[in-house]
Amino acid sequence: MKYAMLVLKNLTRNKRRTSLTVISIAVSLFVFSALVSLPTVADQVLADSASSTRIAVHNKAGLTYALPEAYRTRIAATPHVVAVMGESWFGGIYHEVTDAFPNLAVDPEAAPQLWSDWNISKPAFDQFEKLRTAALVGPGTMKRFNLHIGQQIMLRGTIYPINVTLKIVGTTGGKAPPNFLLFRRDYLEEAIGRPGIVSIYWVRADSSAAVPGVIANIDQQFANSSAETQSESEASFIGSFMDNYRAFFTMAEVLGIIVVLSIGLVAANTAAMSVRERRAEIAVMRSMGFTPRLLVTLMVAESLIIALAGGLLGCASAYIVLKVFSSGSPAAGPLSAIRMPPVVLGETLAAASLIGLLSALIPAQAAARRNIVEALRMVA
Amino acid sequence: MGESAAIELDNVTRIYKRDRFEIRALDGVTMSVPAGRFVAIMGPSGSGKTTILNLIAGIDRATSGHVSVGGEVVSRMTERELAGWRARHIGLVFQFYNLIPVLTAFENVELPLLLTPLKKSERFEHVEAALAVVGLADRMHHYPRQLSGGQEQRVAIARAIVTDPTIIVADEPTGDLDARSAEEILALLRDLNLQFRKTIVMVTHDQRAERFVESVYRLDKGVLAGVEPARPAAIDAAAAARSRVS
Ligand SMILES: Nc1ncnc2c1ncn2[C@@H]1O[C@H](COP(=O)(O)OP(=O)(O)OP(=O)(O)O)[C@@H](O)[C@H]1O
Ligand SMILES: [Mg+2]
Repeated sequence: MKYAMLVLKNLTRNKRRTSLTVISIAVSLFVFSALVSLPTVADQVLADSASSTRIAVHNKAGLTYALPEAYRTRIAATPHVVAVMGESWFGGIYHEVTDAFPNLAVDPEAAPQLWSDWNISKPAFDQFEKLRTAALVGPGTMKRFNLHIGQQIMLRGTIYPINVTLKIVGTTGGKAPPNFLLFRRDYLEEAIGRPGIVSIYWVRADSSAAVPGVIANIDQQFANSSAETQSESEASFIGSFMDNYRAFFTMAEVLGIIVVLSIGLVAANTAAMSVRERRAEIAVMRSMGFTPRLLVTLMVAESLIIALAGGLLGCASAYIVLKVFSSGSPAAGPLSAIRMPPVVLGETLAAASLIGLLSALIPAQAAARRNIVEALRMVA
Repeated sequence: MGESAAIELDNVTRIYKRDRFEIRALDGVTMSVPAGRFVAIMGPSGSGKTTILNLIAGIDRATSGHVSVGGEVVSRMTERELAGWRARHIGLVFQFYNLIPVLTAFENVELPLLLTPLKKSERFEHVEAALAVVGLADRMHHYPRQLSGGQEQRVAIARAIVTDPTIIVADEPTGDLDARSAEEILALLRDLNLQFRKTIVMVTHDQRAERFVESVYRLDKGVLAGVEPARPAAIDAAAAARSRVS
């Protein structure tokens, strides 16, 4: 501990360099911690759905193929099935093409049972069941387009050549995705001329143990029909959606690591410079009896303090930015689910320690092992 | 008093290898310095003065021959042993002071004490005493850049004596100072020698040094050319001071 003074004093040797190094490490670790936090969106959603008793039933040929409306009663009659809800994607836009947000038409009477865990208020669901043109809108979308309850809005179809005029009867809130807009499938069916089709069926089983049996049973019922089904648990269904982002997440992580490596090299260069300037002092301290090991420890400690200060600074800023970003703007959609998990703090500080340790170790060792007489002759 | 040798060099040769050239910095030097002496090593540039000093201080190794200091054979110690030995027995003073710029005078002097088991309060007392000896007790919180060259060299001397080493080794301590400061430093070293019976070996070009030291060892081209007594008047004073102490 008596050496702490020495380490701290050395940090003040070149204040500008010390603070620039702290800042550059902070910036890179800010980027790093934000990037490696991205995949938490996926993990969060998957964790939420892991214990779900919901099953998604879609056309075996792919998500863009529809299923007949008539399947509904047959699925409902399957053992252990509590509720079935048809869902059709409308893909409407509000004003601009860039306004895209998820808008779905669902069977209103089944929705409360399928989404009981979303904590949508009962009055909202009641209104939804009463009015054929009713819409429930997520708070993010409400805020984004500056909508209010009771307002009439028109969505222009992109999949279907029609427009729907909806009345906002409530917000979804709770755990529902913050940017969804829900309206009634019977209204959509009527508007597009009753083709009797459904994008997917959401099915609730009576227990999570029953889920695999129900999946097998449903797919068996429609085997060899003109529209074979493929059922999967909600976790696996969402997981397959998330797979689209997997490459993106991997890229984010790789980028994060590249950022850390490059700042590591910059830090190594800075450490080498700062050690080089002290070669004579190091020789003088060794002539007093300081061992190379002690001197290396002191120099590495100094570098660790710089790197950890940068790490904490970067991590804290990323945490705050993500927090502000996710709470202030639900319109950010799935991005709003980004949180900085504690493990990222750990990873960032570990990255900082590695930067501090490795950048200083090699130049410090070289300097501390240098021949004392040679180093002293350099100054003379 | 018995003239036991503080420093003995026995047929010491130091050869530096540079590319394909060999430089014989020291060529079979045999000499001894009695304990409690203040001696100067003088000679032309490149004659091997610094090389001798480095061997005595245990920061360089002889190519052949033996160096013993205070009865211990320095030339046989391992690097680790040498580091510990230097911490206990050697106080080094350099031409360019070599103080750590980010440390105050106090902290610079405290530096070698960090390697000892002394407690903070004890270290404080030692540092204060050492700074008082060199007459800079009132400057302990100044940084090197706030001090004159002579004052910096005093701090460096305080740093060299604070551990109470067996020997003080100084390489051209006045080489970078004006005439007045140089005389002050020489006088300070002489006083340390007289009052504390420190063995001091000083390399110098400075002719004034002859008035302060007891003997001059003359080096020429890596060979010891002779040892001459110096400071005729001062030797008496030294003897008087010694009898007063004992
Ligand atoms: N590390 C080294 N590598 C190569 N040659 C060296 C080294 N150190 C000293 N020498 C050579 O050894 C000889 C003696 O050097 P030394 O430094 O001991 O001389 P000096 O008497 O102290 O000279 P000065 O008065 O200029 O300081 C010189 O020729 C010098 O060039
Ligand atoms: Mg020299």
